[in-house]
Amino acid sequence: MSKQKPFPEYRRKLGPGWWLSNSHFTQYMIREWTSFFVAVFSLIYIYELSLFASGAKDSALALMRNPGIIAFNIVALLFTVYHALTWFYLIGKVIPIKMGKTTSKPWQALLVNIVLLLIISYAVIQILVLR
Amino acid sequence: MGTGGSGLLMSQDIATIRVTRYRPEKDGKPYFQDYKVPYRKDMVVLDALNYIKANLDGTLTYRWSCRMGVCGSCGANVDGVPKLTCASFLHEFKGRTIKVEPLTHFPVIKDLVVNMDDFMHKLVEIKPWILREKESPPEEGEYRQSAEELERYDQFSSCINCMLCYSACPVYGLNEKFLGPAATALAYRYIEDSRDQGKAVRFPIVHELEGVWECTLVGECSVVCPKGVDPMLAIQKTKILGATNALKSLVMPRGGK
Repeated sequence: MSKQKPFPEYRRKLGPGWWLSNSHFTQYMIREWTSFFVAVFSLIYIYELSLFASGAKDSALALMRNPGIIAFNIVALLFTVYHALTWFYLIGKVIPIKMGKTTSKPWQALLVNIVLLLIISYAVIQILVLR
Repeated sequence: MGTGGSGLLMSQDIATIRVTRYRPEKDGKPYFQDYKVPYRKDMVVLDALNYIKANLDGTLTYRWSCRMGVCGSCGANVDGVPKLTCASFLHEFKGRTIKVEPLTHFPVIKDLVVNMDDFMHKLVEIKPWILREKESPPEEGEYRQSAEELERYDQFSSCINCMLCYSACPVYGLNEKFLGPAATALAYRYIEDSRDQGKAVRFPIVHELEGVWECTLVGECSVVCPKGVDPMLAIQKTKILGATNALKSLVMPRGGK
């Protein structure tokens, strides 16, 4: 067989809008975007802490009360919740647990992880904040 | 059979099949062509393509063989979703135009036929056969395996190399070097096989930068698989195996061997 191809093959490239063609891809892409909001939130948070640390308590509180910052925090929280729930679900897909003859379903992992999250959050608040 | 030939197609519906055409000798790029195909309830997209080739347009080119979901050659994008055309019933698209396109990400040779060299190379690369450090002669009998040991890899051995998972994988679309779902699932099938001793050979291949670590967990490969294989699971399990090995070699004397 000769190596030469007689006619050109048609090659396709993924366009920038590929993730809109399929709802699964869109959900995946939203999960990828959540990292952007978490990163920006972390930067703002670190900046607020540094203001507190340097003694500028008033300007730190003013920044925290800024309606723009509050609005951003709400949006970031929604994205973080989406991120957490979709990953909890994926845990069940990636690490299915065998229980006798049956295997655990992804939604069970989602449920267990939500319960664990609530218990751990409650414990952390009790120990660190309300002690 | 008293009704005769025309009776078979009585009270039939008409499906519009919109097929990608690409004639490399004259077309610069692909275009769509519509065909009207009369169909019965038990007809699939592949039957429609065969009807077109036999009755309407003999130049239409596509791959097929078994027409029963075993050979894996008739894969195409049906209405944008990678499917075996022999397993996509026409009546499910009732009233709508059915778009049939070549599998995504692969170069198109002609009409619905794609170049699958890349996948074939990857398939060979992971050595999809049982590797032994030393072959024992047949007189010593077979390599025994328990039902539990079989179950560890069983589902991953059902792959028919139809490449639907590659067509569904945007990571492969963005980086052609990615080892991809089917090849990794098959590598994992042999890694998990108790009779196999080729871990040291396959691990470096699947743990290359463009091996399992390229996967970002889109998960669509497992959604489209017509044989119930879960390549996403195989890839993540391979990641876990690799990470555990790396940790072992880091904290345990002599790499935990």
